[in-house]
Amino acid sequence: MSLALPPLALYIHLPWCVRKCPYCDFNSHERDGALPETAYLAALRQDLDEELPDAQGRPVVSLFFGGGTPSLLSPDFYAELLGMLRTRLRFAEQVEITLEANPGTVEQQRFEGFRRAGINRLSLGIQSFNDRHLRALGRIHGSREAIRAAEQARAAGFDNLNLDLMHALPDQQQDEALADLAQAIALSPAHISWYELTIEPNTAFYRAPPRQPDNDAMADTEAAGFAQLAEAGYRRYEVSAFARDGRQCRHNLNYWTFGDYLALGAGAHGKVTRPDHGTILRYRKTRLPTHYLAEGGQRRLDSQDIAAAERPLEYLLNALRLVEGVDEDLFTERTGLPLTALEPALTTLRRDGLITPGRLACTDTGLRFLNRVLGTFQP
Amino acid sequence: MGTIALGGQIRYHRGPSFPGPACFVTDISHIRNFSIIAHIDHGKSTLADRFIQVCGGLSERELKEQVLDSMDLERERGITIKAQSVTLYYKARNGETYQLNFIDTPGHVDFSYEVSRSLSACEGALLVVDAAQGVEAQSVANCYTAIEQDLEVLPVLNKIDLPQVEPERVIQEIEEIIGLDAHDACRVSAKTGLGIEDLLEQLVERIPAPTGERDGKLQALIIDSWFDNYLGVVSLVRVTQGRLKKGDKILVKSTGQSHSVDLLGVFTPKRTERTVLEAGEVGWISASIKEILGAPVGDTLTHSKTPEVEALPGFKKVKPQVYAGMFPVSADDYENFRDALSKLALNDASLFYEPETSDALGFGFRVGFLGMLHMEIIQERLEREYDLDLITTAPTVVYELLLVDGTVLHVDNPSKLPESSKVEEFREPIARVNILVPQDYVGSVITLAVERRGVQKNMQYLGKQVALTYDIPMAEVVLDFFDKLKSCSRGYASLDYSFDRFEPAKLVRVDVLINGERVDALAMICHADQAMYRGRVLVEKMKDLVPRQMFDVAIQAAIGSKIIARQTVKALRKNVIAKCYGGDVSRKKKLLEKQKAGKKRMKQVGSVEIPQEAFLAVLKVSD
Repeated sequence: MSLALPPLALYIHLPWCVRKCPYCDFNSHERDGALPETAYLAALRQDLDEELPDAQGRPVVSLFFGGGTPSLLSPDFYAELLGMLRTRLRFAEQVEITLEANPGTVEQQRFEGFRRAGINRLSLGIQSFNDRHLRALGRIHGSREAIRAAEQARAAGFDNLNLDLMHALPDQQQDEALADLAQAIALSPAHISWYELTIEPNTAFYRAPPRQPDNDAMADTEAAGFAQLAEAGYRRYEVSAFARDGRQCRHNLNYWTFGDYLALGAGAHGKVTRPDHGTILRYRKTRLPTHYLAEGGQRRLDSQDIAAAERPLEYLLNALRLVEGVDEDLFTERTGLPLTALEPALTTLRRDGLITPGRLACTDTGLRFLNRVLGTFQP
Repeated sequence: MGTIALGGQIRYHRGPSFPGPACFVTDISHIRNFSIIAHIDHGKSTLADRFIQVCGGLSERELKEQVLDSMDLERERGITIKAQSVTLYYKARNGETYQLNFIDTPGHVDFSYEVSRSLSACEGALLVVDAAQGVEAQSVANCYTAIEQDLEVLPVLNKIDLPQVEPERVIQEIEEIIGLDAHDACRVSAKTGLGIEDLLEQLVERIPAPTGERDGKLQALIIDSWFDNYLGVVSLVRVTQGRLKKGDKILVKSTGQSHSVDLLGVFTPKRTERTVLEAGEVGWISASIKEILGAPVGDTLTHSKTPEVEALPGFKKVKPQVYAGMFPVSADDYENFRDALSKLALNDASLFYEPETSDALGFGFRVGFLGMLHMEIIQERLEREYDLDLITTAPTVVYELLLVDGTVLHVDNPSKLPESSKVEEFREPIARVNILVPQDYVGSVITLAVERRGVQKNMQYLGKQVALTYDIPMAEVVLDFFDKLKSCSRGYASLDYSFDRFEPAKLVRVDVLINGERVDALAMICHADQAMYRGRVLVEKMKDLVPRQMFDVAIQAAIGSKIIARQTVKALRKNVIAKCYGGDVSRKKKLLEKQKAGKKRMKQVGSVEIPQEAFLAVLKVSD
């Protein structure tokens, strides 16, 4: 019963956007002139050199280029970056390399370039195929660009394609949300992420909240959407993730099973297990691109061991998002704690029919009330 | 430290003391002890600040607005709850220096008992009246208390700088309503400072000096006591005879306990140390009294070698008018809660509490209050100063029951009401209510009084105001009558009330059932004629206050076994963070923190979470 070294992924943050969307609270900064690709590459290299000891010899099972808008950077940038990463890290045989792309910033040639650079999975931030809702979300693309982007990505050879969609959009009706799903399904991606618009602090929407459907309407839309996705062969394997067989996102699965991930780039978050010390560190990278680019500056910040009291919640916050949940044994392997650390909450939740017996997985009801389930594990 | 601490929960007289002039003895003939009687907003605090400024009690830098309202709560609400004192030195036009001891008094109807306490340390009082608004009922009542206690009352017209003042009308009101000669009342503006020195001159001239033999045996009255985390119990005392010195061995008459005086002094308004308090003076003492009941308010102090000195007449014990159950959200807080109540009760003679057990809410206390404001203030102080999360049940008045076996029972808790078959007669408390209202609003005030089952006893036109006297059931008065009165008279009507008698009434208990289970803490007692209506409105209100849960929640009102109203809170469909935040768990955790904070004031009753507001929904029923 002790902490084991989990699989390792790598997250790389690209913090620039054409324009900040009113719902977005990720670390993104509006582009001001040409992007400093060369300088950023150099900074990432230095950053990686400091991270390397925490790889502890493990191969990387997944890389994820997130943002911001990673597709704003050129294919050449990624070719060089991946080359640099390969010289320093071992990539697993079936490594998944995902790039987030904005439909308003790409065209056929660029997709082909990303593909050639070694990227093998593309996640398109479509959000909606409805022009009215896209405008309300402050997106820089329209529905036609969205459809074209998906088609061109496919034509460029990206068969492992994810489409990001949102519902509960400002003044959105159920039929509009389902029409968005139908359009996404028609494009036949390998994976669909479908989640409701969440209003976050420090966003324009937080300061001036748009009118969203109420809890009942959202639940109705969800139920109809889940059925539509299942009908089309997309199995729900996580709260808001749907995939064709074998096409689940490995990078996210690694988060949800409490795997490790190194963080590179401004504002990236990382998690590293050190079994010899019995510690699980969380840390983040300095947020502002100018600070991150500065030579010799402190990049890794707030590095802190997840206290034993916090580990059950941190673990379940991820694991219980999975529809199938996880094996009970994995809890000890990943947190170093005995299963009894989840008591008495676990027994109560099983008695109340919110968690299944014999496995750490929510029941249907439990998944619908996941916040409540997780609340019982708060220290 | 060194200046007045205004932040946190600090009363200004906490913290280190200031060494003061040790041998500054004022002859007893040059002492004036006085209070200010004023309605809320009539400018008492501003006037007090002005006195402090004129007498140089604080430097410009230290003089913050309204220094005497020192609790956060007092400052926020613009009211005075606890008595405070300040010693000032005024150089009069005759060249002599006088020691002025100003003892502050509360202005709200709930706290009238504090007034008589403050007045007992004084020889005079200033009746401050807003020269535009005129006399208000509360001031009338307090003024009568002062006159009964043989105080010299000086009427003062304040806010004289305002354009809409009517000094002549207000003088007439003072003379007609209170019966006080007001023709030479000082006309001042506490805001601008106009007329302040004339007022101080009149004060020195007309308020009598205290009497008392300074070489006699020590006799001192405890006006107030409070608990200081550093010093233990600190008391505000008025020395009526003899002198009290640092190091003296003193005897608390009622407890028979002796203590040694560690520190004493006056407030200027900074807590300033002295070596002696002489007869006629008002000041503070600290005698390392650790136990909270060691220095009861109204008690008498003397030297331990003179135990024969007689006790001064104490204060009339006031009875609480409303009772509510208070329960810690977390059972672990029970002991802290008990401790906090005992500390608050130290200088709040009207605060009554005894343990209560509720099936729904567990262990807590039944707490008695003078009125709703008192209850709110106590609840806020418990939560802020003692960091407790509490659920307060709906307040109720005390009912009297004549049982079939002839015994008389007083019930302050709806859940303790015996079966109606055992009760010969239900009796409800009736309040005698005095209202002063400008003629323009008398119609709406009468309508309100009738709605509240009031019976008119008297009506008198006095200048532009009308004095109304009603008998109204206490239950209809204490909850929100004051607020309603204010709103139907644009804030002009004023109110004073007191318990008068018990009267037979048709009363029933309305129970509330949550998912079929009776919740004792939600029961209410009301008049039989109103029970159906109140029950219906109560469950409607509760439906809006109980958050949606994982299952339907049925809320029912019942009299005995008969259901009179029902509402359903439909189940919540889902509660899940849909968004995937990738590797950053901090935001997901923040959302859960928010959820947790929302549950702070919720109590789990059976499997249903009920928020604080729902327990008080009954208060909203009469809207």
